[in-house]
Amino acid sequence: MKHVKLAIVATLLSSTAYAADMGDVGTPIKLAVNEWTGQHVSTYVAGEMLKVAGYEVEYVTAGYMNMYQAMADGEIHGAMEIWSSNVSDDYAKKVEAGGVVELGDLGLDAKEGIAYPAHVADMCPGLPAWEALKDCAQAFATAETIPMGRLVDYPADWGTPGADRMTGLALPFKAVPAGSEGALIAELRASTERKSPLLITFWQPHWAMSAYDVQFVDLPVGEEACFNDPAWGPNPNAVNDCDFAPSRIFKAGWSGIEETWPAAYEILTNYTLSVEAQQPMMGAVDVDGGKVQEVVAAWMAENESSWRPIVDAATR
Amino acid sequence: MTAIPDTSPALPNRLSPGALAALITLLVGAACIALEPAFAWLVKWPAAWTFPATDWVGAVLEAVLGALKPFARMLASLLRYPMDGAHFVLTRTPWPLVIGVTTALGWYLGGLRMALLGALGLGFVLASGYWIESMTTLSLVAVSVPLALMMGGAIGILANEVPRVKSAVQVLLDVMQTVPTFAYLTPLLLLFGFGPVVGLIASAIYAAPPMARNVMLGLERVEPEIKEAAVMAGGTRFQQLFQVEIPSAASQIMVGVNQCLMAALSMVIIAAVIGGFNDIGWEVLLTMRKAQFGAALLAGLVIVVFAIVIDRMSGALAIERKRHDPRIAYGVLAVSVLVTLVFWGRLPDPSGFALLDPTADAVDAGLTAFTVASGAWLDSVKNGAMFYVLLPLRIGLDQAVLPFTWGFMWTPTMSLWLFAAGAAAGLVLIARGSVVGGLLLMIAVGILETGIANLPWPFVLTGTAALCWIAGGRKLALISVLLLLTILLSGLWERALLSLYLSGAAVFACAVLGGAIGLLCAVSPWAWRIVRPICDMLQTIPLFVFLIPVLMFFQIGEFSAFLAICAYAIVPMIRYTRFGLVSTPDDLIEAATASGATSVQIMKDIRIPYATPSLLLGLNQTILYAFSMLVIAALIGTTGLGQSIYLALGQADVGLGVSAGAAMAILAMIADRIVQGFAEERRKALGL
Repeated sequence: MKHVKLAIVATLLSSTAYAADMGDVGTPIKLAVNEWTGQHVSTYVAGEMLKVAGYEVEYVTAGYMNMYQAMADGEIHGAMEIWSSNVSDDYAKKVEAGGVVELGDLGLDAKEGIAYPAHVADMCPGLPAWEALKDCAQAFATAETIPMGRLVDYPADWGTPGADRMTGLALPFKAVPAGSEGALIAELRASTERKSPLLITFWQPHWAMSAYDVQFVDLPVGEEACFNDPAWGPNPNAVNDCDFAPSRIFKAGWSGIEETWPAAYEILTNYTLSVEAQQPMMGAVDVDGGKVQEVVAAWMAENESSWRPIVDAATR
Repeated sequence: MTAIPDTSPALPNRLSPGALAALITLLVGAACIALEPAFAWLVKWPAAWTFPATDWVGAVLEAVLGALKPFARMLASLLRYPMDGAHFVLTRTPWPLVIGVTTALGWYLGGLRMALLGALGLGFVLASGYWIESMTTLSLVAVSVPLALMMGGAIGILANEVPRVKSAVQVLLDVMQTVPTFAYLTPLLLLFGFGPVVGLIASAIYAAPPMARNVMLGLERVEPEIKEAAVMAGGTRFQQLFQVEIPSAASQIMVGVNQCLMAALSMVIIAAVIGGFNDIGWEVLLTMRKAQFGAALLAGLVIVVFAIVIDRMSGALAIERKRHDPRIAYGVLAVSVLVTLVFWGRLPDPSGFALLDPTADAVDAGLTAFTVASGAWLDSVKNGAMFYVLLPLRIGLDQAVLPFTWGFMWTPTMSLWLFAAGAAAGLVLIARGSVVGGLLLMIAVGILETGIANLPWPFVLTGTAALCWIAGGRKLALISVLLLLTILLSGLWERALLSLYLSGAAVFACAVLGGAIGLLCAVSPWAWRIVRPICDMLQTIPLFVFLIPVLMFFQIGEFSAFLAICAYAIVPMIRYTRFGLVSTPDDLIEAATASGATSVQIMKDIRIPYATPSLLLGLNQTILYAFSMLVIAALIGTTGLGQSIYLALGQADVGLGVSAGAAMAILAMIADRIVQGFAEERRKALGL
């Protein structure tokens, strides 16, 4: 992490030093719009910054998992929010082949973990401490998992971090893959409405965290050794007996951006968005029913100081 | 297989082929159960015996796709033109004009009823606030359907002109319809690049077969006299075909056009998975991701409305009937032009309408209230179904019966008692003359004890071969076994058995329940009036929409997946059962009534036997539907081939996706051929 931060500071310093060429202003820059609101917010903020700089921007809907071929072909030019915990193998292949380049961290501070809606704490006394789960697996048991408790894990194509934790910490839970994000949300919603028990693998920033009052289980803080050395941590016989490996959220784009739109490349590379900025905007869209464009425009008008310098540095 | 010479001399010659096949299957099964403890490879195909076939398929395909890429990219950019054109016209045309044209067309084709349907349908779309998204969707359909019609028409005519390729064409059409679209999305993305063109081609591939089949059927059924007349008139083959045969097959071909339209619409959601343009399918995906049932249902209903309007209008086009007065159609058009001109520039933004949002919210609130109120009994329904039906079917009684499910532990002694009871009951049946029935009962008991997912592979191969042999002869049996062997060798066997179990359970439930509903609808026109629109909706609404309530009621897991599959696959069973039962010729029924038969007797002895081919066709469609639903069921966390296809899509793994898709198509096609074989036999027996 330290290296990454240093690198960002370095790019920030170097970028303030000179203004880049605008490049091909006549051709619109196409930014990918994926399937979730947080990503829409991150994308529209970046897109509006590019517009202020003098570029034409087109927002293109794209499936998150399938967009890298299009990016390598130069049909999509940038994706603003890629989660390292859930990225298609195709991304690495396309980076290696040279069609796609990373554009640095987005700066969103993500957290993943084993979570539960707040009312579940009454069913399993001792939560949020993870040790409490040892004794109340029975409360989480269902027809498919009996006699073990049930943990709703990420969809199979996102990996199985929840199952890894259960094995690592020797907890009597069976992980059931969710199949899709919609299925995860439906589980959270049903559990909150029915006041039924639920243990789920989840992440933030996400609008459902506050909508369903989701809490994380406190797991032993992870170190590099936890993932390699079985002896580390509470379970001397297994790896993964700790919290999730921190996931990185970054930006990526077509490898031709730097040459085609040098200033835009600089803006996109330096662009960051914090959880504190993104989360209220997500709420304004998903909970209050606002339009992404309007919510983003309002935020940009109020917080000019947080994005204007990046645009100015690249263009003046 | 060596069992044949051992057993046949011992038994008298009167053993029918069916009994012989069942006996061999039973013996193989019994041998497997007996040897299973000693030879684990009988149940679990060892990983060492598989080939990395998915990697090979991936490598070969990627090379082939790479070579085709420049050509495909050119085609894609060519297709962009008509698509962008249609998109421009449909989204820029003022909405009163679009509604006016549809209403006028409706009047011309079907009078007041059709005109109202058009006006109300599009009115609903406008009120939903999804006007622009819907028009984008329509522009995709507007290009993919002509493409599918041309492809389908060409395939159909080719099969008609060159009889030698006919059977190959049949297989090709089956493959196009049974390989799940998700399985070939990744290769299509590689070939055609990103964007709506991929969705367009995927939907054209899926929509072409019904057209091809109907063209073939239509041309086959042209009266020989008409053909001869064309020959005698001295026309070239080309003239005969296009000026005589195709026009006289027109009404059958129009059925194909109608089916093609419906199939293209049902694929709209698949195009959205890739993205590339802002259509109604994308809205369904976004709302689904937030588990907003009301909003997802609203967006899904927009697709249903399009499907119904297009279905009824193109259906009216297929029936050659007197057209209605065109002057009124022109009148409607003129009014809409007038409205557009008068309010030019002041027309409300079609995306601004949100008249139905309160309804969507109310639906959502209703769902919440229902989930809260019925949590307890929903759970007991689910547990009952899991403990007593689904789990025993999947892993067998010997593993599913545990102290916390059934209240006691299953022991090997119990297995022996169960086998003994099954054998005794079977022998009683055989003694009473039903040899096949007795043997099948014993086989069923064995399957119940073992569980479908744990079936030994030699038993599955023998059983399939036996069924194929009875249904379609030696050739079918040989091909089926070879195809199953490819699944076995490619290492997808376990997943295939899981898929087989889930869709098998769903097909069984659909056959029983759908048959009963179909029977009810055949007896009571009132019931049909209620059931029919529900069937229409279930077939055209993107099925993603129903995953939300099913999940909220029953959580992630097999029972939810089972219900989702049933909701879709039950429709053909209902339709074909009803159709078969109501289409019994009147003279047969009259004759029976005259001889004093009661209505129950007529149903049992005349209508049901007469409807058997139609019932079997319904069963066949139910099987195909159940398989096609497996991929969608993977979204609620099932394992099996569906999940592999979804995984492959996420990871852009061409080999795994195509192999799993092929495995699924193999299972579906074998089931299809077996059922069709039996249907053919029945038809011959009835003299049809």
